[in-house]
Amino acid sequence: MKIIVCIKQVPSTNQVKLDPETKTIIRDGRQSVINPFDTYAIEEAVQLKEKLGGKVTALSMGIPATQRILREAMSQGVDEALLLSDRAFAGADTLATAYTLALGARHIGDFDLIVCGRMATDGDTAQIGPELAEDLGVPHVTNVSEILEASDKELLCRKVTDYGTQVVRMKLPGVITVAKDINMPRMASIRGVRESLEAPFTMLGAADTGADPARIGLKGSPTQVVRTFTPEKTVECQFLQGDAKEAAGALCRLLKEEHLTGEEA
Amino acid sequence: MAGIVIDESRCVGCGLCVKTCPQGAIEIKDKKAHVGDGCIACGMCLDSCKLGAISRTQEKGGEDLDSWKGILVAAEAYEGKLHSVTLELLCKAKELQCDSKCGISAFLMGKDVEKLAQELINHGADTVYLCQDESLAYPTEEPWADALTSVIEKARPEILLFGATEFGRSLAPRVAARLRTGLTADCTVLQIDKETGLLQQTRPAFGGNLMATIVCPNHRPQMATVRPGVFPMGQGEMRQGTVVRLPVPALSGRVQVESAQPAPESKTIADAQIIVAVGRGIGSQKNMQYAYELARLLGGQVGASRPLVDAGWAQYPMQVGQTGKTVAPKLYIACGISGAIQHMAGIGGAETIVAINTDPDAPIFQSAHYAIVGDCVEVLKEMIAQLQK
Amino acid sequence: MANALIRPMSGEYEEYLRDESRSVGKAESISFPRTTEEVSSILKEMNEKKIPVTVQGSRTGLAAAAVPYEGHAMNLSRMDKVLSCRQDDQTGTFYFTLQPGVLLSELRKMISGKRFQTADWTEEAKAAYTAFCRAPEQFFTPDPTETSASLGGMVNCNASGARSFHYGSVRGYINALKVVLMDGETLTLRRGEQFAQGRKGTLRTDTGKEISFTLPSYQMPHTKNASGYYAEDDMDLIDLFIGSDGTLGVTCEIEIRLLPLPQIIWGVTAFFDQEEKALRYVRLIRGEQLEGCDRFDIHPVSAEFFNGDALEILRREKRENSAFAQIHDIPQQYETAIYVELHGDTEEEMTNRLLELGKAIQQAGGKEEDTWVARSQTDLDRLMFFRHAIPECVNMLIDQRKKKNKEITKLGTDMAVPDAALEETMAMYNTMLKEKGLQSAIWGHVGNNHLHVNILPNDSEEYRKGKELYNDWAAKITAKGGAVSAEHGVGKLKAGFLRVMYGEEHIGEMRQLKKAFDPQNLLNRGNLFAPEEENK
Repeated sequence: MKIIVCIKQVPSTNQVKLDPETKTIIRDGRQSVINPFDTYAIEEAVQLKEKLGGKVTALSMGIPATQRILREAMSQGVDEALLLSDRAFAGADTLATAYTLALGARHIGDFDLIVCGRMATDGDTAQIGPELAEDLGVPHVTNVSEILEASDKELLCRKVTDYGTQVVRMKLPGVITVAKDINMPRMASIRGVRESLEAPFTMLGAADTGADPARIGLKGSPTQVVRTFTPEKTVECQFLQGDAKEAAGALCRLLKEEHLTGEEA
Repeated sequence: MAGIVIDESRCVGCGLCVKTCPQGAIEIKDKKAHVGDGCIACGMCLDSCKLGAISRTQEKGGEDLDSWKGILVAAEAYEGKLHSVTLELLCKAKELQCDSKCGISAFLMGKDVEKLAQELINHGADTVYLCQDESLAYPTEEPWADALTSVIEKARPEILLFGATEFGRSLAPRVAARLRTGLTADCTVLQIDKETGLLQQTRPAFGGNLMATIVCPNHRPQMATVRPGVFPMGQGEMRQGTVVRLPVPALSGRVQVESAQPAPESKTIADAQIIVAVGRGIGSQKNMQYAYELARLLGGQVGASRPLVDAGWAQYPMQVGQTGKTVAPKLYIACGISGAIQHMAGIGGAETIVAINTDPDAPIFQSAHYAIVGDCVEVLKEMIAQLQK
Repeated sequence: MANALIRPMSGEYEEYLRDESRSVGKAESISFPRTTEEVSSILKEMNEKKIPVTVQGSRTGLAAAAVPYEGHAMNLSRMDKVLSCRQDDQTGTFYFTLQPGVLLSELRKMISGKRFQTADWTEEAKAAYTAFCRAPEQFFTPDPTETSASLGGMVNCNASGARSFHYGSVRGYINALKVVLMDGETLTLRRGEQFAQGRKGTLRTDTGKEISFTLPSYQMPHTKNASGYYAEDDMDLIDLFIGSDGTLGVTCEIEIRLLPLPQIIWGVTAFFDQEEKALRYVRLIRGEQLEGCDRFDIHPVSAEFFNGDALEILRREKRENSAFAQIHDIPQQYETAIYVELHGDTEEEMTNRLLELGKAIQQAGGKEEDTWVARSQTDLDRLMFFRHAIPECVNMLIDQRKKKNKEITKLGTDMAVPDAALEETMAMYNTMLKEKGLQSAIWGHVGNNHLHVNILPNDSEEYRKGKELYNDWAAKITAKGGAVSAEHGVGKLKAGFLRVMYGEEHIGEMRQLKKAFDPQNLLNRGNLFAPEEENK
């Protein structure tokens, strides 16, 4: 089975720190990490390969330093990696990113399955998997919590829906996004780290992939961020006054207003 | 480069923008700021520059943008009922449309969904595009995307809204990619910019620590998903509307739902949306019944602090905290829990925390959104009485 | 009671009668002061009425130092403010002044999230704080396993943790203290300002009252140590108060020193099929020259040990308790685990050290593939969960047994020996435990030859045997030049061992020293000095 796993490099934390005087954001300078959701995708891809044979290729779009996290994936059982890196890719929204990743997937070629994390911690959009599938013209299944059967022809898996779970059969090639906790991502061993330093790694730019300049990077991104701001701080604790009856009444009203009374939600 | 440009005649190389950039994409070279590859054009740096040396390049474009009009809501139905978020979106659509009369339409697809069309109309849809067939028992992305794109090509809506349900979050990007337009996920604020007429879509970024306002200036439709419960639902009223029937798209059959299993009834506290948690302040084991009753009324689960589990009043799977379960419910009602740090470590993900405790200095109040100082047993009884009404 | 802060003891305060050692005491009254002045007024009143006072932080101690046996319990958990920030002009080092009830976990969150409440600070402190926010990331190095420990407690038992192997104990990171004495007077101690003359010392309280005293004449062991008063010729007198088990005064303000956080932190757990290979590995990573091996230059900041019994307890809990399900499977052939942490600033340097670690593992007889390498925070958290799960499991086992037999408590040692004695000490523990047929689990800070032997008695008979063993070890460890308490402090439970370690004469000297600060012996009575000796 030929599997591609998509990986994104994200900041190590979502915590935002503000300069006490200027009230602007302070970056903490810590190293970027593999999007935590993608670690499950890596593990699932590697487990499938171990079961069915074949090869796992990690695919990412990012700055050249993304090589580090791709090597990290290779220390955990991924065989090789392709990094799409070009100034022209910068500023991409999900549409342009999915287009670019689709070019990468075509470059790798002949894949049976693409595994993505459910979403990325820095964007939380969960859009890349389905957009990538559409760009490649293949089916997709999101939020997969278990792979029940797999061959290079089709995949039988369980997915989590808003109403429970479904057992879904998908013809391959196709894309899945995997739920957090579908597996327990393995830790690399020192041997794995050592071997990953020598593992095959390719970096390609926009021209190498035959990208349409109008569809990549900022130019290829229909959405634009016009303003970023820190949300107002959550209110301090609100003490509800009165005796037990009054306070309970006030609380019930508040919970209803916030749609927190169960089935009404 | 990218969408952010530095006016070198104004830049003094103070470096404030360097510190501000969440991507670390700006550096100072020869006393001037330079925007590098990591830039995602988020715009954080714009406000940081005291000298106005940073600006954003805007691209003009789009030929026939004006031919796109109105709002289309992609409805979601399950087992013969509309999802609440669909009605919330219609209510929002009415608000966005209040100045113009371009119309609101809804897209409804599935098995036995025809009867729901009138409800959509009552909640604000002027036109309902209906695609109904026995074969459409379970929503799957490709046929839904096929039918929806055919509607969009015909109706040319300026705005297209989805509920950020599991299916909505899977279908919307598929459609956006096909139409090659922009999509903003999980919006919490939607409004029309008075000057440009663009839909301003505000959403949390960086795990909710930042908010970003996003527009889609040159592509149509402008697409967004919205989480259930973010907008109010509004009252429906008897209205007249048009139902347009759509042909059933050919099913590719590449994805087939073989079976569906409802979520198990007795969920664990680890994935409960509402938790009524009990600590020593509950007083005695027999008072536990009130916690169970409130949890039942709210559709939630009962959790417990460690001393209660140690005392044998609750079982270990119910224990919340560092040595028990880590929970992330929408609502956490802490009854008679003082809020030891070990306990608080387990509820960091709770969205709303209600604390009921006799001690006004109990540490739990420092993390609570709503607090009642008093006997939790009394408050529980009152809440049960009022919710039963 | 004249003082409104002092409340009579009642059922609702029951939890304040115990701590993590699981000993339970009693008290007649309790208070929750918020300021140094309130502490002073309470102590003054108690001193006049000759009522013994036991001071508490967050009661996470393992030696019952915070458990009151009589009189008044003074709980400092509400003295949880950070008071100030300062930056040294010359070195750029940052200092924060805290109240003793600040929890380590909260302090860490404030430091990493830069979320201090600065509204009440001076302009100068605010300016220093702004510099702190703009500076590279900082951290407070002491890392006791229990992060809900209070800073006051950590100072008073000279706490350490895994990283102390490289960074040393809390002592090195305390720059100033404000201490309230039993008579209500306050003492301000700043590192580098007040020194002993030989073993003689004099301190002046903030009102000018002079206190003269003689330091004990013993030589402290050349190991990690938290046993009794710190005493050295010409020592800095702030060190006398750090690790004094609260017996001299109540710590009300603490100035801590931060270090710049290393850019990269990695953790590696290595598994071995034999304990002796693991100990060999420890010596190699400490940079020791062993026959037939290379000499390594790895400089780990911690080296933690888990024996086969500890791993077996974890395996069982993982099967039976869903809270531990997230731990990776530990293959049966893994008999001993060693966790090391590496701190560094460049990827390349760290990778090289990691590969060296791999070489050391092989030369010690292990395999490079029997390792878990954590290079992300998620993985580091996983390894930390693994390490913390072991004491957690042992505590749960003990609690189960305690339900059947109230007499049983955990018997956990806290002894350290000099480098040379590592293997022989380990052999001693293993042989003697086997002889007595007791269930146990051993883990701890092997880099400092500091291991926690935890005996898990099933019944009263085993509990008695365990206690005997424990006493026996105290004598044998002392003979090897070790310390009977290396990080938990002596408290009440280990006072007997302190006597074994230092002998009657030196205990007498310590008692004299305490008398200089607390003539009526009211403060934290029972800590350091066993209760049966109190009446002598």
